[in-house]
Amino acid sequence: MLFSSISFIYYFLPIVLMLYFLVPFKFKNFVLLISSLFFYFYGEPIYSILMLISILSGYLHGLWIYRSRKSRYAKIPLICSVVFSIGILLYFKYADFLIENINWIFGIKINSLKVVLPIGISFYTFQILSYTIDVYRGNAKVQTNFFNFAAYVTLFPQLIAGPIVRYTTVEQQLSNRKHSVEDFACGVNRFIVGLSKKVLIANTLGELGNIFSNLVDSTILFYWIGAVSFMLQIYYDFSGYSDMAIGLGRIFGFHFLENFNYPYISKSISEFWRRWHISLGSWFRDYVYIPMGGNRAGALKWIRNVFTVWFLTGLWHGANWNFIIWGLYFGILLIIEKFLLNDLLRKLPPAAGHIYTLFFAAISFIIFNTNNITECIVYIKGMLGILDIPFSNAETYYYLRSYGFTLIIAAVGSTPLVTETVRKIKLNKNGEAFLNISEPVVLVSLLLLIIGYLIDGSFNPFLYFRF
Amino acid sequence: MRNNIKNIAVSLSFIIVIFGFMAANIMMPDKEFSYGERRRLISIPDFSSDKLLNGDLSDEYEKYILDQFVFRDTFRGLKAFGKYYLFNQKDNNNIYIINGIIEKMEYKLNEKSVLNAAEKLNEIYEKYLWGKNAGYAIIPDKGYYMAAQNGYLTIDYDRLTEIMNSNIPNMKYIDLFNSLSIDDYYKTDIHWRQERIIKIADLLLNEFGNDKKASDNEYIEHKLYPFHGSYYGQAALKPKPDVMYYLTNKTIENAVVFDYQSNVSGKVYKADLFGGIDPYDVFLSGANALITVYNEDCKNNKELLLFRDSFGSSIAPLFLEGYSKVTLIDLRYISTDLLENYIDFSQEQDVLFLYNVQILNNSSMLK
Repeated sequence: MLFSSISFIYYFLPIVLMLYFLVPFKFKNFVLLISSLFFYFYGEPIYSILMLISILSGYLHGLWIYRSRKSRYAKIPLICSVVFSIGILLYFKYADFLIENINWIFGIKINSLKVVLPIGISFYTFQILSYTIDVYRGNAKVQTNFFNFAAYVTLFPQLIAGPIVRYTTVEQQLSNRKHSVEDFACGVNRFIVGLSKKVLIANTLGELGNIFSNLVDSTILFYWIGAVSFMLQIYYDFSGYSDMAIGLGRIFGFHFLENFNYPYISKSISEFWRRWHISLGSWFRDYVYIPMGGNRAGALKWIRNVFTVWFLTGLWHGANWNFIIWGLYFGILLIIEKFLLNDLLRKLPPAAGHIYTLFFAAISFIIFNTNNITECIVYIKGMLGILDIPFSNAETYYYLRSYGFTLIIAAVGSTPLVTETVRKIKLNKNGEAFLNISEPVVLVSLLLLIIGYLIDGSFNPFLYFRF
Repeated sequence: MRNNIKNIAVSLSFIIVIFGFMAANIMMPDKEFSYGERRRLISIPDFSSDKLLNGDLSDEYEKYILDQFVFRDTFRGLKAFGKYYLFNQKDNNNIYIINGIIEKMEYKLNEKSVLNAAEKLNEIYEKYLWGKNAGYAIIPDKGYYMAAQNGYLTIDYDRLTEIMNSNIPNMKYIDLFNSLSIDDYYKTDIHWRQERIIKIADLLLNEFGNDKKASDNEYIEHKLYPFHGSYYGQAALKPKPDVMYYLTNKTIENAVVFDYQSNVSGKVYKADLFGGIDPYDVFLSGANALITVYNEDCKNNKELLLFRDSFGSSIAPLFLEGYSKVTLIDLRYISTDLLENYIDFSQEQDVLFLYNVQILNNSSMLK
């Protein structure tokens, strides 16, 4: 079930809200668990069993780790947990990719397993891993209540497309959280903002992307429009989903951490990754990079660690070479920044850093979005005018005029300009009163407009569902 | 308004909207048709455990919920408003509106399709029409008269006619592009207006050497209102509907229409179909594979074979003065090979292929 669907907003959510707020606190997690299982089952019936097995594994391993924590064999349950979780992920996400590459390297023909990727497996597997590792490290208390643990893993706001909520973030809230009108209203606000980002902006830019994909006569300008458009689309799509997840969590009394912080205002790639998909970056930092020694073990080991983390980050996004190259591309950029560019970027005007970051981020998303390297090279050649195509044509100008305003709104909205403006208006008493009156009106108007877009639109995929 | 009052207002309005629409959707009966979109709406899917487990049931439910959402047409209008006026997009689902005239962007020219159409005409000519007085005409869409001037994309009309002309050697081409104007079309529909195409009927009769003129007759105009054309619902913005006129005179009133499929005879116009899904069905009852209109008043024994799409339905009555029989063939609904079972091609016949550009650009539908 998609957050941006009529079935979710106008059937699932009201029923869950009603049940959740009617039952006493001790049953609230149970309501969330049952709702989340239905939410997952609705979109992925068969693999619901796989998710339950993963949950049971995480729960039992957590107990085992806790009971063995003082023994000399304390690592065994942890290793067992990691092997089990990663094993499931490897089989369901990477088995066919592995077979494909073995066939290619050795020139043999092992039949593909044709495994269908279970929705959200990367997200919930990483959450379970964070739990067992944190219990092992003593950073988290073991959860003895199975329903509470299952509610944490399956919590529908973040189940299928993140953000990756660590157990430690919601540990206290699982057993003791408060509900207030303020939290509910903030959650509603955040949910509708995220929904608008997804439905009004990302889907519209997705339409433009489809038009670009189906073009017969492309132009240099359209290659650039396509690159900028996809860059904004993926940001609005994924950050919109994260906003909805954070908002829904807040409605139910959970406070998830932020997943995006205006990544396109970054002045370097390392800053970009501190602002983009924060929950994934910090997960790899805390569970892979730092345990490997981080940057404290000398330059060569640091380079090894960086490549390992970015190889895994790429691979996490999908079982395809373009994702691995995409990850390694960032690894190379970060190493170049560390040794060559950081000093230079500090001396140059900030605009230079912005342009540098946006350009390389745009290229990264071309790698991300194309099916293979040849396609990617053709795309970049198209942007650079190396292909034998005109600069522009009537079709390009038409779509630029038609989607130009959406692109401008998207570009402005990806900066803190709107938030800053609202903050400044709030400093003034009259301004605050105006915003307080207009907020419910704007939110309801957006909600109604979104119904129209959902009813009359066919383009509504979530890009991050495939991970 | 203080923050806590605002929070209550936000929370309450959200709850009212989501619970309100849930209740309305549950309580309101399902609709069978969407007249705006001219299609049957999806009804509640049948349950089966197989469909439940393979995910088909949830997919079907999603489509059903979208189709049956309360005030669907109003919300489609809201979306169109958002696209045009909030996001300043030039079209919504390829539909655009200029001065109240709605048009669907036909882009871009499908040269293979046009060539296929030309080959289809040649095939029919060689199979049935050899030596007959045959011609073809292309009906431009409204885009020809208003798209480019307003910055919209259109097909390359010159290339379209060039492909047709260079690939159809045995029939004469009759140019209509310069004889029509945007005012000859309905604002909310794809079609031309019957009361405005008498000049086109004259032109075509003249091209076939027929000494009669449609404009020599006096017609009574019958008004039907409001006419919500096929683009009216697609535009979703509730523009001003059109007025439909249909023309009658003694000849048309006396003419008898025979439908080969149902073996039923009837009249040229069926005004009661104006209230149906497609009001344009008033003309010759709309889409029919094969019909003949008999004009007993005309004694010249001449027959016109009109290979046509829906545009042909409104112009055919205007040809009646010049022919004792007009047979209309819609190749979207009958195969070329079956025609000889119904039509005696050994008779003296004029032959006109009359198609609008959308058919030529999507000609795979011609059988």
